[in-house]
Amino acid sequence: MTLPGWTREPLVHFLFGGLLLFAFFAWRGEDVDPASRSIDISREQQARIALQFERTMQRAPTDGELDALVDQYVREEVLYREALRLGLNNDDAVVRKRMAQKMDYLAASRAETQQPSDATLQAWLDEHPARFAPDSRFSFDQLWFAEKSAADAAKARLDTEGRWQDLGERISLPSSLDAASRSDVTARFGSEFAANLEGGAKDEWIGPVRSGFGFHLVRLRDATNGPVPPLAEIRDRVENDWRAETMAKRRGEAFAILRDAYDVTLEQ
Amino acid sequence: MRKFMISVAALSLLSACGMGGGASEDASGDGTGTVELAEFPERPLWGDTHLHTDNSFDAFGFGARLGPEDALRFASGEEVISTTGVSAKLSRPLDFLVIADHAELLGGIRRLYDAPRVMIRDETMRKWYDMMHESPQESQRAMSEIIAAAAANTLPAGMNDPEANAEAIAGVWTAHLDTLDRFNRPGKFTTLAGYEYSLVPGGNNLHRVVVFRDGSEKTKQTLPFGWDGTDEANVSQLWDYMEGYEKATGGSVLAIPHNSNMSDGTMFELTKHDGGPMTAEYARRRAEHEPIVEATQIKGDSESHPFLSPNDEFASFGDVGWELGNLTDPSSKENGMFAGEYLREALKRGLTIEQQTGVNPYQFGMIGSTDSHTALATGDEDNFFGKHTGNEPRGERGNEAQNLGTRKGRFAWNYLAGGYAAVWARANTRAEIFDAMERREVYATTGPRMVVRLFAGFDFADDAFDGDWVRDGYANGVPMGGALVDEGKAPRFVVSALKDPEGANLDRVQIVKGWVDASGNTQERIYDIAWSDPANRLMSGGKLPAVGDTVDRAKATYENSIGAAELNTVWTDPDYREGQNAFYYVRVLEIPTPRWTLFDAVRFGVELSAESAANAVSQERAYSSPVWLNSPKTGA
Repeated sequence: MTLPGWTREPLVHFLFGGLLLFAFFAWRGEDVDPASRSIDISREQQARIALQFERTMQRAPTDGELDALVDQYVREEVLYREALRLGLNNDDAVVRKRMAQKMDYLAASRAETQQPSDATLQAWLDEHPARFAPDSRFSFDQLWFAEKSAADAAKARLDTEGRWQDLGERISLPSSLDAASRSDVTARFGSEFAANLEGGAKDEWIGPVRSGFGFHLVRLRDATNGPVPPLAEIRDRVENDWRAETMAKRRGEAFAILRDAYDVTLEQ
Repeated sequence: MRKFMISVAALSLLSACGMGGGASEDASGDGTGTVELAEFPERPLWGDTHLHTDNSFDAFGFGARLGPEDALRFASGEEVISTTGVSAKLSRPLDFLVIADHAELLGGIRRLYDAPRVMIRDETMRKWYDMMHESPQESQRAMSEIIAAAAANTLPAGMNDPEANAEAIAGVWTAHLDTLDRFNRPGKFTTLAGYEYSLVPGGNNLHRVVVFRDGSEKTKQTLPFGWDGTDEANVSQLWDYMEGYEKATGGSVLAIPHNSNMSDGTMFELTKHDGGPMTAEYARRRAEHEPIVEATQIKGDSESHPFLSPNDEFASFGDVGWELGNLTDPSSKENGMFAGEYLREALKRGLTIEQQTGVNPYQFGMIGSTDSHTALATGDEDNFFGKHTGNEPRGERGNEAQNLGTRKGRFAWNYLAGGYAAVWARANTRAEIFDAMERREVYATTGPRMVVRLFAGFDFADDAFDGDWVRDGYANGVPMGGALVDEGKAPRFVVSALKDPEGANLDRVQIVKGWVDASGNTQERIYDIAWSDPANRLMSGGKLPAVGDTVDRAKATYENSIGAAELNTVWTDPDYREGQNAFYYVRVLEIPTPRWTLFDAVRFGVELSAESAANAVSQERAYSSPVWLNSPKTGA
């Protein structure tokens, strides 16, 4: 049998999971209503308090200590509920931020722990091939000049001179690069120069092209965009990307659903 | 409802950092055999060896909420949202990253913050818990108290007990190593495992960043080694740990001291750490485990100081504010302490100790890094995201007092924008980057990415630059970080500095020489060896005229109308004396440019304080690792 599409929707899972947890705690008799004036401290709750003490102090609490811990817990719970009753949480920037953060955690936590299947990642890869495409690679020759006028003058002589390599001024930059990745070109020549190689005409001298060093005459010999690698080779990258985006998306979607239930009017 | 929230939040925190495993074999090893090696290093690889994320107790306490994964995405060129909600992206990605979260309390402050308050019994811990939850300002105050308590060894028991924290730390460490493997891309972007060993007895900063060569199969066999908080603790315990790791796993690990400028003279002593006389064995261990030192970072620059180098007009860069005291007391410094703090003097002390014991403990190379506590490895003046989340970009941040344990002494404008490490490696892999650090073929910059080459030998020709000078440099000399054996003639140096294509032009290139004279005293001298506009800038009285200043203080702009794109020269030491051990390193200065404080003033329309305004422009720089000249008897 096939389930209807909405049952596979992560958001439905999220909301349903929240409902289940809520129901579970309600059934366990946990305080879900801060307005209630009865505080029941179950055996489990006491055990949790004791365990936490043990983790910090590396020993179990004595009976006296446990009593004091429980008293502290009760005191805090009473004051907390009364504070809620008085609405003291309403204008507290820290409480607001913290609660909002927890809602975000809640929405994203499933994406954080989920192990995506190959199919999920393959679909992700198919959807965003450009992100995983290898850098463009460029093969080119270049000459450098400190001043634009010198570059212009040299350009006029390029066709008549025998060796183009002799026309530039000396600088510690490679005069020729073969199949250099765009990031490598950017590291050596800067972003402005690398951008100028994209979509340039081939096998003819162009320029003067500006860079942080000065001016260049450039001859692009080859530019290639390699194929997107198969998933098996780049699974880590795809998963990192999927996880980061999915978490952000979940947070956004969860918020949108909640947001839709509110009317907001801005006084003009 | 409240408890259900807490349990879910805790669950998601436990699983933060993603799930383990899944990284390919190429990505999880040390990178050997994964990419083709160049014949010799072709371009420097840029990285940060000193970045903190929310796994660091102080970064978290100061408000950082970005973790290792965000840090790795940002450094490799992706856009992330900073803790304060600003989107951030590097215009040029880094080539490698070492996340160096504090070993002490690794993940611990986050655990304290997220623990149910009722569970925190210790009054001090509870106080800090409350402060962290109260407001960002209180959270910063709590952090200052924790740092001070750590330095004074008054942290509550159970907070700093390595045994007690081992399980929690192991969880954080293992997850972290898996994350590193998932982001490691040999040939493209390298993630090295590491952490910070934060030894700070009495507030004297003796911190080291520990860096591993190996993949997770080996690094998972160890745990970060932290300071136990006692005054008896000392760095030889770290060396014991490192030797133990190498023996047990067959792997390799090194340590990088930093912020010697806040050690009150204890980072580079003439004696052993306990005051006993320096021995050859002790010197050997130090040199072996600590081949490089962080010369410059956000908390100041440790290359030189005017008190030690009165004849160096550029010695004061990045000293102001940090020269007053140690990490926790900005008033503890006396003049006699500077010699044990600044790297040029330490290199000189190394020569002295070598004369006495036969071994040079301070034969180190130099790198820069950020020490950013925002998980963002930003090193440039125009993208300074602050030392920690409390001073991410905001109008008034530059004028605020930095009361790390006190309310006097340092101000936010004393922070530098950071630095970067440049590594001459044959390929972008863990093993190749680590090995370049071991052989000291690295250099420091205060942020800009200028390309600095240095070769030393005896037979370089005057017209070396007309030929294949890099190949020749490797064939007939040693690169930066290397050592020459004195052959009875003056050493020659092939030096090249190419500007950052996206930065400022170069003012000058200098050689800094240190040596021991005939009477056993150390000396230093600085030579200007190449500079821009040599036709008009003529030496007079041994001094080179300043390059000029194009900075528009009202707009935070500068013009590359002065300075040079590249400076090259072949230089021979004119003061060579046979038998005098010496070191030589290169310092490259850019033309004056606006500091981050001036960018802030213009962007946010704020008024800088008088002192800050007087320090709003600087000449950024690079420091190469030295080359040593050793007489034959001590060997290289």
